[in-house]
Amino acid sequence: MNPVLAADITLPHINYGAIAPILILLGMACVGVLAEAFLPRTLRYPVQVLVSLVAQVAGLATIIGLALSNYAKKPTLTAGDALAVDGPGLFLQGAVLVLGIVATLLIAERSVERGGAFVAQAAVTAGSEADAEQARRQPSQTEIFPLSLFALGGMMLFVSANDLLTMFVALEVFSLPLYLMCALARRRRLLSQEAAVKYFLLGAFSSAFFVYGIAMLYGFAGSVKFHDIAVAAISSGKSDLLMFIGLAMLAIGLLFKAAAVPFHVWTPDVYQGAPTPVTALMASCTKVAAFGGILRIFYVAFLDSRWDWRPVIGVIAVLTMVIGAILAVTQTDIKRLLAYSSIANAGYVLTGVLAMQKDGISSSLFYLVTYGFTVLAAFGLVTLVRDQDGEATHLSRWAGLGRKAPVLAGVFTFLMLSFAGIPLTSGFTGKFAVFSAALGGGQTTLVIFGVLSSVLLAFPYLRVVVLMYLQEPAADAPTVAVPGALTSAALAIGAIVTLLLGVWPSVLLDVANSAAQFVG
Amino acid sequence: MSGYLGSYATLGILLVVGVVLFGAAFAGNRLLRPHRPDPGKLTTYESGVDPVGGDWAQAEIRYYVFAYLYVLFAVESVFLFPWALVFARPGFGTTTLVEMAVFVAVLLLGLLYAWRKGVLRWT
Amino acid sequence: MTHVLAHPLAGQVLALASPGAMGTGEKVAFWVLGIIALGCAIAMVAARNAMHSALFLVVTMFCLGIFYIIQAGPFIGMAQIIVYTGAIMMLFLFVLMLVGRDVSDSLIETLRGQRTAGILVGLGLAGLLGGGIARALGSIDAKGLEQANATHGGNVPGLAALMFTRYVFAFEVTSALLITAAVGAMILAHVQRNGEKKTQKEQSRERFAEGNHPAPKAGPGVFAHSNSVATPAILPDGTRSARSISPLVEPRELTAEDTRPKDTLTGGGNQ
Repeated sequence: MNPVLAADITLPHINYGAIAPILILLGMACVGVLAEAFLPRTLRYPVQVLVSLVAQVAGLATIIGLALSNYAKKPTLTAGDALAVDGPGLFLQGAVLVLGIVATLLIAERSVERGGAFVAQAAVTAGSEADAEQARRQPSQTEIFPLSLFALGGMMLFVSANDLLTMFVALEVFSLPLYLMCALARRRRLLSQEAAVKYFLLGAFSSAFFVYGIAMLYGFAGSVKFHDIAVAAISSGKSDLLMFIGLAMLAIGLLFKAAAVPFHVWTPDVYQGAPTPVTALMASCTKVAAFGGILRIFYVAFLDSRWDWRPVIGVIAVLTMVIGAILAVTQTDIKRLLAYSSIANAGYVLTGVLAMQKDGISSSLFYLVTYGFTVLAAFGLVTLVRDQDGEATHLSRWAGLGRKAPVLAGVFTFLMLSFAGIPLTSGFTGKFAVFSAALGGGQTTLVIFGVLSSVLLAFPYLRVVVLMYLQEPAADAPTVAVPGALTSAALAIGAIVTLLLGVWPSVLLDVANSAAQFVG
Repeated sequence: MSGYLGSYATLGILLVVGVVLFGAAFAGNRLLRPHRPDPGKLTTYESGVDPVGGDWAQAEIRYYVFAYLYVLFAVESVFLFPWALVFARPGFGTTTLVEMAVFVAVLLLGLLYAWRKGVLRWT
Repeated sequence: MTHVLAHPLAGQVLALASPGAMGTGEKVAFWVLGIIALGCAIAMVAARNAMHSALFLVVTMFCLGIFYIIQAGPFIGMAQIIVYTGAIMMLFLFVLMLVGRDVSDSLIETLRGQRTAGILVGLGLAGLLGGGIARALGSIDAKGLEQANATHGGNVPGLAALMFTRYVFAFEVTSALLITAAVGAMILAHVQRNGEKKTQKEQSRERFAEGNHPAPKAGPGVFAHSNSVATPAILPDGTRSARSISPLVEPRELTAEDTRPKDTLTGGGNQ
């Protein structure tokens, strides 16, 4: 090669300390795959649970260490400016991991359903004789643990990616394991596989929009870095049209993951069909990751053009809140009800995001964590109400549960009240935070729609409560399984955090406030 | 025929020649061969027995897994080519070697997993 | 090819001569292949037979590969042809052979008017995007790839420079994506055998176990009108033996035409 042409290429400095949490998660996921390949069958489950929890706890400890060593105050870019280690990034990574640990507890549970909630061999034809045999005898597939680690690692990368290309790779890294995990339910396998195929096809479609958006923005700014896009948006005298096409396409990809109307159609089917612990993971962690990406793109790359696009995203936020709430009212299945509720909640976070000022970031971060814990506990409780076909998710089957299982019904009522936004629950403080941020940002219309839809959304939640306490149980009413240690822990954490952040929100709100500064 | 696209002209001409040759062979065949159509000639030959059912046999899913493993390493080779071209440059050696080694090692992990799960054993 | 690209002047001369402008050859190739690519893409969606769809997709992806080459990205073009039209299409075809090549799209709409609405909305989106991009591109000063290729001494070294500097983390994480896909493919497609394969001894014991029928099963076609594998044997009491044919084969009722003695000289069938 001609030495003149071999222009100096300096390899980028990589601050391994600052990206250690992501490396730990992805590295431990590889260890999980290795364990899956080499350990005898009986050892796999304990080792995988251990690897999975150790990885997440170690990752979380590293994030806390980074936050304390002032990375939140003095943010840095590393690995050729591809990764941003800043306040929101660290907060979101921490949120993904905290929620991920609780979700892992639900995933690891093996006593509620004998052998766990996952199929032993997903490749065995559903409904065949071999399938019935493995459903009775064999324990769950343990690949679910490395897959969930890959998903969590991808989400952490997603919220701290500083250019669109890294963000896209991260999007795929966290989506692909989720598609797979959706297909692994032990009961109602065809429904589960259908959910996975729907999620995969629509997810791939939305990824295509995302990539198209990247191409447009590259055409506009000549770079895929957020900072360069922001600079190009102010400085260039050229037409903004390419930028807006690109932004629209990116937004489609991101809002799909966040389950905002009109990109929400997959949500109820996938939430219903997927194994409930995986649904819990999607409803909490995926939502955090998706909104992490939305926050970073809106606040770093497109802050200065906000006057042009804010009304459009505002319309989407209103649609998301209103349609999510209206459709939640009509649901008869508890998992679908929670799915529509998660759609409406995406609208509330979006309201906070659209404040487009500092407390917009902090309130959205806060809301994501409060909602995540509550929804984890709610789905955890759904796994406990069972009959001979597995989980009894039809609402009519929940009639009279208040008498049969007062503790479960009590906790569930508390969670429903939190979703409905009753004071002294985290649902109230979260909504209060996003709505006041949106008011401060001049988004009064959004707040009005938000409050109205919250009132509407309280109806389905309270209907479940009424159903549990004021109706007679049917003769063949489902039994309530005794939760194992792991599920009990997950439920306790979810419910206690819901209460704690309702009574004493400043614990987390202060952290979110001090973290709410993006690096660009 | 110089410059960037000119170097592809040879390839283009080769393609055209290939297509022409193919067409010529079949056209020649058509001209020379006798032409006596008979429905019996169109039925599937099954050891002299009348064929039963359709002619489609379901492919085994194992082919798919093998093909996927191939795709895995085809994609890897796409990354290996650029790396091989710059590997020898000053300042590039060790770091990129390690980076590439990490990349390949993770992919090999997939192959290792396949081997231990018995995917690679056909019978 | 490589030395043309690597030559310091070739790239620069081209870049100077035509910053982003298309030569005649490029124009001709674009319009010819563009029409083919678009036509095949539409045909892929419209084709009823899945196998035809797959083959149309091959043509489209091949055309895209040539586009990349024409636009001075030979490596990505070749990768497109080798990885996509080669390896990934092979995966598609295996899946189609698994599902069945006779399976065609159902023409029944579950939502009335969905197809029409889909086509209209799709055309609308295409028009909107096409119009927008056509307007926006007027203000873009395209540089062409030659300049970028010249910086690092060629197309592929340029790619490598980006891969190991700015996008090194994305590149490494791609391996996580690939291994997830590999593990996923094996979870969903591979049934692990529990325990070892039965030995000959065990099989023999099983065969002579109580309640089993140790003698060879009746062959198909024994005492039957036809020697087809699909014709069940007839037992001495006149019933058909289900044991005589493979469970995978549909038992076949023979017509009088089938059982008629056939003359070898005239070739059977059409008399």
